Amino acid sequence: SLCAKMAALSGGAPWRRGWLPALQLVRRGSKAVTRHWKAMHFQRQKLMAVTEYLAPRPAIPPRCLTPRKERVEEDSGYMRLLRQQVEEVFRDNRMIAICQYNSMPGEDLVLMRHYLRKYNIEVKFVLNEIVRPVLAQSKYKNLLPLFVARNILLVSPELKAKEMLRVLKGVPQVNLLGACIEDTILSRQGVENFAKLPPLEVSQGQTVGALSLLPSQTSSLLQRGPAHLTALLDEHIRRLQAGGTGTPPEPPPAQSSEGH
Amino acid sequence: PAGPGGVTVPRAGLKKFALPPDYSDIIFPERTKLKFMDKVPAVPKVKREPRQLRDIRGPSQEATDFIQGQYGILALGGGYLHWGHFEMIRLTIGRSMDPKSMFAIWRVPAPSKPVTKKSLGHRMGGGKGPIDHYVTAVKSGRLVVEVGGRCEFGEVLPFLTQVANKLPFPALPVSRQSLQKMRQEEEEKRLNNQNPWTFERVVTGNMLGMRKYLSPYDLRLKGRFWGKFYLRHRV
Repeated sequence: SLCAKMAALSGGAPWRRGWLPALQLVRRGSKAVTRHWKAMHFQRQKLMAVTEYLAPRPAIPPRCLTPRKERVEEDSGYMRLLRQQVEEVFRDNRMIAICQYNSMPGEDLVLMRHYLRKYNIEVKFVLNEIVRPVLAQSKYKNLLPLFVARNILLVSPELKAKEMLRVLKGVPQVNLLGACIEDTILSRQGVENFAKLPPLEVSQGQTVGALSLLPSQTSSLLQRGPAHLTALLDEHIRRLQAGGTGTPPEPPPAQSSEGH
Repeated sequence: PAGPGGVTVPRAGLKKFALPPDYSDIIFPERTKLKFMDKVPAVPKVKREPRQLRDIRGPSQEATDFIQGQYGILALGGGYLHWGHFEMIRLTIGRSMDPKSMFAIWRVPAPSKPVTKKSLGHRMGGGKGPIDHYVTAVKSGRLVVEVGGRCEFGEVLPFLTQVANKLPFPALPVSRQSLQKMRQEEEEKRLNNQNPWTFERVVTGNMLGMRKYLSPYDLRLKGRFWGKFYLRHRV
């Protein structure tokens, strides 16, 4: 191709025969699209090196500047449901006992639940991250310190503290921490004292009896004078009958009793 | 939270259940498996065609976006796919996917370009050889197959990578989101390039007479393509 070029140029004007350099240059080297990586012209290599991508590099990395975004977790429907359930529990039941729960075998847990169910006490497992916000906003703020680590709630509409304590004594893995009975917060000692109290009917009966003690004595008090007189007279008659014709009847003891 | 004694007991919180993905708006085609592609078109070509390697060069203009499926194989270079490649793709995907819950469709046509080959051991000359086989041309940026259905990207990825590694050009399994992300990143790279000198600028302005050493196609290709290769690191 060099000889052809020289031949064409030596003629004087290079475009005389309609000779295009582009067509002639194609014969040298490979086509544009090759299977191998075609070697680039050095000037092209230099151009590619000059026009490479330069990444932005600020003086202070953005990692140091932006404050760490605290992730605000969305309320899922499940969490809302659990919260509703906790609120219902606190509203519906009269006795709520909070116990610490250590892991116990499954069958023991089922047995404990069974025994408590007989006294109408339900066992509820609660998650602290749900219960804490609910309590913080309600009136049970003072129960908050109890809800740390794993706990269970024993809830019941009736007040059967003695039976509950008896069952819990047989289960070493569950320890009573405190209770909220009739909106009164009691500690462990308080619950034990509460359990020692007699049941409501008995104490009601005792109060009624105590109140009605004095009125019941009124009639006997009023009757005491005549009863004493009657007793003395009877004694006198008995002595007279026992003595036969003996001593005459003695009015002074009757006068002295009437004087009373 | 720390207890009254200052003791913190670490334990897991509430389990958060993620909703399962919604596959309600997926339309399955009639045949879920890939169609069989002929080796030779129904009407075989008589006239031998010139090589026309420009059907390999540059970015693809067709089949660059998803149609029906959610995942696919993206070609990152140019090349020819012949019947062997088609069979490999069809069998590998047919073997690895579940036809009841997934479907796959071709995004490349059947081989139609005739390729000639002279018999072995002969000298140059004597005319053009007879037609040996048929191929389809694939440019970079084109989707080869699309896979969709009630499946996740993680389920589809293993066999798509297996197929992508066997293709004659570099290929990548993509999903709709990953493709969009790739394009976004490319755009961002182009915008936040700190180098004031870009290939495009030099070529369009013919700075330093560079066009003497560059092809007229480089005005369109802008230094991102070289032959059949796609230079992914270039902006």
